[in-house]
Amino acid sequence: MSLTSVRQLIAVVGMALLLAQPANAEITIEDSLGSQTFQDTPKRVVALNWALIEQALELDVIPVGASNPEAYNTWVAQPLAPKEVANIGTRAEPNLEKIAALKPDVILAGDRQRDLVDSLSTIAPVVLLENYSPDSSAGDNAIRHFRTLAKLFDKEALGESRLDSLQQHIAALKGQLQQHYGDTLPEVLPVRFGSDTSVYLYTEHSMSNWVLEQLGLPNARLLPYAAWGVTQKRLETLKDLEQAYVLYILPYPEEEDLKQSFLWKAMPFVRQNHVNSVDPVWSYGGAMSLKYMADVYVKSLLEIADQ
Amino acid sequence: MIHFRSLSLAGITTLALAAALMLGTDLSVPQQWHLILQRTAPESFADYSYFYGHLPRLIMAIIVGGTLGFVGSLMQQLTQNPLTSPLTLGTSSGAWLALIIMNVWFTQWVAQYSAIAAMAGALSAFMLIVAIVGLKNLSGLPIVVAGMVVNILLGAIATGIILLNEQYAQNIFMWGAGDLAQNGWDQITWLLPKLVLFIPLMLFAPRALALLKLGKDGASSRGLAVIPVFFILMISGIWLASAAITSVGVIGFIGLISPNIARAWEARTPRQELTFSVAIGAILLLLTDRLAFFATQWSDQLIPSGITAALIGAPALIWFSRRQLKAQDSLALILPSGRRHLSPLSLGAISSMLLIAIMAYGFIDLSQGNWQWHWPSAYQWQIRWPRLLTAAATGLGLAVAGVILQRLIYNPLASPDILGVSAGATLAMVASAVWLGQTSLTYNWLAAIAGSLVVLVCLLLLARKHQYTPSSLILTGIAITALIDAVIQFCLAQGTSDSYRILLWLSGSTYRTSAEQSVTLTTGVLLLLGVALICSRWLNVISIGRAFALARGINVSGVSLVLLLIVALMCAMATATMGPVAFVGLIAPHLAIMLGATSGRAQLCIAALIGTTLMLWADWLGQTILYPDQVAAGTLVSIIGGGYFIALLLISRLKRS
Repeated sequence: MSLTSVRQLIAVVGMALLLAQPANAEITIEDSLGSQTFQDTPKRVVALNWALIEQALELDVIPVGASNPEAYNTWVAQPLAPKEVANIGTRAEPNLEKIAALKPDVILAGDRQRDLVDSLSTIAPVVLLENYSPDSSAGDNAIRHFRTLAKLFDKEALGESRLDSLQQHIAALKGQLQQHYGDTLPEVLPVRFGSDTSVYLYTEHSMSNWVLEQLGLPNARLLPYAAWGVTQKRLETLKDLEQAYVLYILPYPEEEDLKQSFLWKAMPFVRQNHVNSVDPVWSYGGAMSLKYMADVYVKSLLEIADQ
Repeated sequence: MIHFRSLSLAGITTLALAAALMLGTDLSVPQQWHLILQRTAPESFADYSYFYGHLPRLIMAIIVGGTLGFVGSLMQQLTQNPLTSPLTLGTSSGAWLALIIMNVWFTQWVAQYSAIAAMAGALSAFMLIVAIVGLKNLSGLPIVVAGMVVNILLGAIATGIILLNEQYAQNIFMWGAGDLAQNGWDQITWLLPKLVLFIPLMLFAPRALALLKLGKDGASSRGLAVIPVFFILMISGIWLASAAITSVGVIGFIGLISPNIARAWEARTPRQELTFSVAIGAILLLLTDRLAFFATQWSDQLIPSGITAALIGAPALIWFSRRQLKAQDSLALILPSGRRHLSPLSLGAISSMLLIAIMAYGFIDLSQGNWQWHWPSAYQWQIRWPRLLTAAATGLGLAVAGVILQRLIYNPLASPDILGVSAGATLAMVASAVWLGQTSLTYNWLAAIAGSLVVLVCLLLLARKHQYTPSSLILTGIAITALIDAVIQFCLAQGTSDSYRILLWLSGSTYRTSAEQSVTLTTGVLLLLGVALICSRWLNVISIGRAFALARGINVSGVSLVLLLIVALMCAMATATMGPVAFVGLIAPHLAIMLGATSGRAQLCIAALIGTTLMLWADWLGQTILYPDQVAAGTLVSIIGGGYFIALLLISRLKRS
């Protein structure tokens, strides 16, 4: 065999070997810590907070482990976490040994878990995805993180189609609202009761406010950002809301008592019947939770319009 | 004289009421009167807000304040002790725990049965306290100490449950913070019928109290059935207090300080003290509630009434009750005495307990779903050793601090937690986190040291003035511990996940300690132990008596200062690294004595050994029992330690009777 044919042979074999191996595409993503490169698509995923369990599940990735998946199924519930997701402890103190035993390829950490990154990164690469910040909308951040995860899990097509349907869904909801309320939509204020005399309001950059913005609903009381996009106020501070619609998110065990309260009945928005309850919804979720939140807000507003 | 004081009290009450009526509403005075007399029906929102928000809130403040003042006075006269009150007898901690349990496990009953649960909780906590001190021993300080132990224990259990079930407890955080804001008259119409007992009590209690003042023998010789009367009055008081607390939430201090102010105002007869306390309690709560109202308007945060009541109440308590501390307040809490000499057997037993704890901590692996016994992997070891070291060093440090305090202050109950030294460090750290925006709670050493030093100095100033009587010592402890509870509740009522961060730290967890922190803590604690051992000869001499020590040529104040500095540093370092840890400083020194470690040096060493063992067991169990969830070592040690202490008191009581 001549030298050239040997060379040709080596080249051919080499080509064949290269082709036989899976395409060694490096994945580079941006998270809250900067950019990170993965050699392969991670298969075994551990999610340390509920927004991230939801994001992964919406990308058809079932985490091998997650923080308190049973409680997640009670409080978030959309989408449900299957039974095979192992519990790795609480969100505040995830069990490091348990995580290590699951041999994850990647660990997804979220808000208020930055201080865990050092100890977690000795187990597996950590992707830190923080939603809440004083200068950017949590909704936008959740969507950005959803894209980041789609890229990481090699599900970019699925991710984009889900995001498209989110946009279309919200546009359709907005159309429904305009049918009932006209082109200029009324001011709205979603609240959650803390007690019979205090409410939690969602601030600037909260998930809830993103939903209002996208639906074209002006926020009746836009408060400056507070941690987690939520702040507590006296119920009485809502007395100035003349035209606005107030939506209170369930569950609220004392709802019946509230309806009997004279003070509540004297609120301008109650007098005008600009008030309704909202089905339980998780306000601190990932990108697809925005859809569920928009659904229940609009459902509640349409119920008022139909009365 | 008393006539003049009654008149002036009535005057102040009227003024306070009038001021409170007018403050915080947009309506003019004539408009207000028209509404109150119902000449005009409410129309505008301001009208409704006045009639269904402002007015009921004022009335609620008066009713609740008056009730708490009355119950406080009743209890203090019954027990002849200026420190008993619904707060110190477990009423609020019992109700709090009951409501937490209800909201976590029996959600479907929350709307209907919350009030019953809270009352049942309050009454059970009181029963537990009575069981501890015994029926015949309900007067004096033991009941206060037992109350504190029960408060710490129940509080720790509640915190543990909240931390493991974050979402569920949110509904009652506002209640926990003590909020008087009203949403109509419903609460008042619910509460008033439950307070009818007040009328017969006001009529008949003063006679019984006057007889009881003569002492048990004197009273029974005049035909008073002491124990039944005592019990009926006490249970009625608890009933009233728990009804009030159930409707507005945890509001401490009012019941504790009102009778003290009444006595400082020279209320002499039982009837005078009761009436004065009712008026003072009502005024106090009215004013603190207005303060909370305006603080909420001025600041961006919602400030519940419970926090202002505590912020004013804590210093007021120390100020008004300091003069009433009596030297003869004996503790009468007799703990079982132990052997004379340290036997090798018991030493071996503790050492092997320590060894087993270390082995379990190091070699048991649960991460595969079952119990496995093997050499830890490099990674597991890297997670475990800083936690192990932190737990051990904290146990050692607090035990040594406890020994020094007990010997220096001549009191078997003088421990960093009962005296509030650790609590001072905790309070300083939480306050700096909440109000100065400190992001990280751990490792804020400066605040911790400042906090525990301030408490120690207060303690010493008070104690020296009152010849180191137990009551003067426990006073600061009660005030600061209750203040911390109020601050915790305030944080929780903010309702964001950051509140859980603070709560998590308050539960005393080793989870977040880094390798460097644990090494620094251990080095510091061991150095201080060295200094303490060098000082142990002085400790021996001082614990015989100050005069004796002076006669032996010891610079008592200098030595005391060094020793107290050790205590403050130990508590501050332990608290700053892993958060507050209760009971170790109380139990370890006592167990050491029981095992026969009578000399200062022996007690220091054995207590250190016991403290270390206890903390290691608590931390390991906390990481194991609910695996993969974790219970903080501080929570578990409170449960183990509190349980042990209660058992100890029960046993020694049963032995005596």
